Amino acid sequence: MRWGMVVDMRKCVGCQTCTVACHEENALPPNVFWRHVVDVEVGEYPDVRRTFMPMGCQHCAEPPCVPVCPTGASQQRKDGIVFVQYDMCIGCGYCAIACPYRARHMVQDHTWYFGEATPSEKQAREPERHGVMTKCTFCKHRVDKAPAGATPGVDPEYTPVCVSSCIANAMHFGDLDDPNSNVSKLRQEHEPGVLLEELGLKPSLFYITE
Amino acid sequence: MPAQLQHEWDLYHATWFTLMGIGGGVFLVARLLRIERGLGVWLGLPVVDLVSFVAIGIGGLVLVWSLGRPLRMLRAVLKPGTSWISRGAIADFIFLVTGGLLILPSLELAGVKPFAALPWDAWASTGAGKAIEVVGLLASAIVIVYAGLVLADKAAITFWRSWLIPAQFVLSSLTMSIATVMVMATLNGTPVGLLECLLLGKVSLLLLLAIAWHLATERAKPGKAESLARLSTRYRWLYFGGVVGAGTLLPALLGFIAAAAPSERAALGIAALPLTVAGGFFLRLVTLRVGYFPPVSGMLRLRKR
Repeated sequence: MRWGMVVDMRKCVGCQTCTVACHEENALPPNVFWRHVVDVEVGEYPDVRRTFMPMGCQHCAEPPCVPVCPTGASQQRKDGIVFVQYDMCIGCGYCAIACPYRARHMVQDHTWYFGEATPSEKQAREPERHGVMTKCTFCKHRVDKAPAGATPGVDPEYTPVCVSSCIANAMHFGDLDDPNSNVSKLRQEHEPGVLLEELGLKPSLFYITE
Repeated sequence: MPAQLQHEWDLYHATWFTLMGIGGGVFLVARLLRIERGLGVWLGLPVVDLVSFVAIGIGGLVLVWSLGRPLRMLRAVLKPGTSWISRGAIADFIFLVTGGLLILPSLELAGVKPFAALPWDAWASTGAGKAIEVVGLLASAIVIVYAGLVLADKAAITFWRSWLIPAQFVLSSLTMSIATVMVMATLNGTPVGLLECLLLGKVSLLLLLAIAWHLATERAKPGKAESLARLSTRYRWLYFGGVVGAGTLLPALLGFIAAAAPSERAALGIAALPLTVAGGFFLRLVTLRVGYFPPVSGMLRLRKR
């Protein structure tokens, strides 16, 4: 099993709902965004278009952030999810330097948008996530809760919140190793690309552009 | 996404890299040239080794201070198989332990040598001493090389991903260390040798060559092109005037002049020390500050409508 995402950039409207949903779900402090949507200009003049590209950790199969970590805090699960074991991280920043997708964010201090944590921030906050490196976890706390019979990527409550909140159905989550999963079918149908393919990191995020 | 400057590593890291370079370098240079006796003795201990420990100790403290979770610093040694920070941290510990052990028997307090029973001395004149010294030398070599390898090995920054970065850092460490050794000899009333002067000149020239080579190659590579543009604009004076001119070319000239003029070696060594140390520090700082992540949208293509 290897979790992955397929993003259909033809459908993304750049609304940033995924950005806000991720921020809320994970109680991220101000200025830290595990998921965000960037405006991209593609093509060459005069055939140029504006498009939107949801960005975040690519959960690479060969993640450069994992081997550089001096403590072993940066880890990869068997299902491909790359995450930080907060209580092992010393906050040296080496993994952030190693990630070409700029998907890692240091949380320097506990800060909140409204001075103190709101009820939902209190519920989702992780006290260990302070002075350490943080990143998208593919909402593993939701994925791991899936009971037998439920399928992350199909059942919204067990799906990463950026995917389940997408208003345009532009983001899809599922098992890349299962040929019958939604993401595998999209890959077969559209042959989506990956970012910085030349680096050989084998990202788990695929982008349908045309 | 266009190329983006890194902001993770800056002043603390440049300071850490510089102090490690000086600390490991002075031990290495003095011991390999066998000039540690002429650089002064304090409490029975070679002063050059004490300088080395102080530099590495302060460098280590700066590193710890820069961590998000400083109290977990000991965890930094857990992954030497894949992480250069781990390897460097282990080398630092080994160097401090073996270097400390090596000089311990010579420690003299109020006319008493409490550790004199140990079967070696600070000058490594016995077999046991030589063995400890070799381990210390190997560790100090790793100490001066790992900072560059931290940047060159797996970082995403194109400007850093070249063997010329560790080469520059090692050569810069050696120039700083040779100049330090020259000044220590002068302070101790020992004549500065011809070899140190020639080494300063030649190593500085090699550093100049490494910098020029790095700047001249792969200039159009995504990420490096942006770094070179920043070097030639915002950091033009600091890098080309300070690091290259005052911090590298001038010490090379001073080294060769000192080799030809024995009576001026003391003054020229004293002049070379601040130049090489400032040049080495700013070499590291500017290298960090011009680090760009490469642009991330190369795969996007449009079909013709």
